[in-house]
Amino acid sequence: MATAELVLGLLSAGPAHGYDVKRGHDSWFPDSRPLAFGQVYTTLGRLERDELVEVVDRASEGGPERTVYALTAKGRERLARWLAEPIEPAPGGVDEMVRKVVATIRTGEDASAYLARQRAIYLHRIRELKSAEAGGDSSSWLVRDYVALHLDADLRWLDRALDRITEQKETNR
Amino acid sequence: MTDALEIQRVEYAYSRDVALRGVSLGVDAGEIVAVTGPSGCGKSTLVHCAAGILRPQAGTVTLAGRNLAELTEAERTRVRRTQVGIVLQFGQLVPDLSLKDNVALPLLLEGHHAAAARRAALGWLERVGVAEDSEALPSELSGGQNQRAAVARALVTGPAVVFADEPTGSLDSRAGEQMMELLVASARDGGAALVIVTHDNLIAAYADREVRLRDGVVQHEVRLS
Ligand SMILES: Nc1ncnc2c1ncn2[C@@H]1O[C@H](COP(=O)(O)OP(=O)(O)OP(=O)(O)O)[C@@H](O)[C@H]1O
Ligand SMILES: [Mg+2]
Repeated sequence: MATAELVLGLLSAGPAHGYDVKRGHDSWFPDSRPLAFGQVYTTLGRLERDELVEVVDRASEGGPERTVYALTAKGRERLARWLAEPIEPAPGGVDEMVRKVVATIRTGEDASAYLARQRAIYLHRIRELKSAEAGGDSSSWLVRDYVALHLDADLRWLDRALDRITEQKETNR
Repeated sequence: MTDALEIQRVEYAYSRDVALRGVSLGVDAGEIVAVTGPSGCGKSTLVHCAAGILRPQAGTVTLAGRNLAELTEAERTRVRRTQVGIVLQFGQLVPDLSLKDNVALPLLLEGHHAAAARRAALGWLERVGVAEDSEALPSELSGGQNQRAAVARALVTGPAVVFADEPTGSLDSRAGEQMMELLVASARDGGAALVIVTHDNLIAAYADREVRLRDGVVQHEVRLS
């Protein structure tokens, strides 16, 4: 996870406290796990050490939430490079759903009941994502679309898997 | 509360293919049901039987409380015209009638006065957002605008059930979703149940329930709401 670069992005609008960074992150990604305070401060500390951010204000009482951070020129450069860089496709990792279906076939179990339950859960989730969209702000629909379209891809894979299993059963009969 | 639609053990065979092998499905008033399944599994045939367009060889279809098999041809036509709305993939409007006259047509066929029918048509064209094109011919408008008018036409009689067979099939995914949102809102607005046939999971996700067919039988039914 590119937390460091994301924090740079969150500081690009201007200097901010760690708390603002956390809040900014959570509003950019309302459906993701909230960013932990501890992680914000360790990340800011590391970015400061690497001269990607600098402390521009430190209130007298001290304490990390009083510290105001700003991007350095170097930090801005790093952010721009990260944003421009395309991502390699994920290596063909096989998640638990695929393992389950393969295991179902290999053990000769009936996959259709499992498929129905899996479809119900995924369709339900897509439905939730869609109804949230109405109230969603600026960019959160981007994340929701991403999640919904990936769930759709999984569902289509499940359909094809089940079709092929059924066809095989029919020809073996 | 009576069901908007009750299908019981319906069988239908074309001259060469058996399309439905005993399908049962109930749809509550105002409910949204997605009918999904691979090509050729019988979705369109089911919709045609449920809408009273095809007569099943076995089983019963009860629409808005009327068992279609027990009706005369004239009564069946009447139920079909007043209780059923249909939306297909490409709008299927009458090419030489304006949008307004297309939407008024189901009311005119039912013997409503022309002025009242046109007023109701204009009202529905407003609700689906194409009132300013009410005098245009279908060929002068985009596919999406035609689809909107088709939704208005399906709802103008205040049907118990709207059947939509791949209504988003000719639209890109964003336009398809907007179309679906319009259908859902319009059906709710008109108090109609909605039976939507689709291949698209993102469209099916709008439904309260998914009924999946395979080879002429219900493979599974899942509740989504
Ligand atoms: N008018 C027809 N005459 C003869 N056979 C037909 C006719 N319409 C459909 N069939 C056959 O009946 C079966 C079910 O077809 P149907 O059109 O109901 O499927 P569908 O699920 O709507 O498919 P699709 O997703 O491709 O629209 C198929 O085997 C098809 O070939
Ligand atoms: Mg069809």
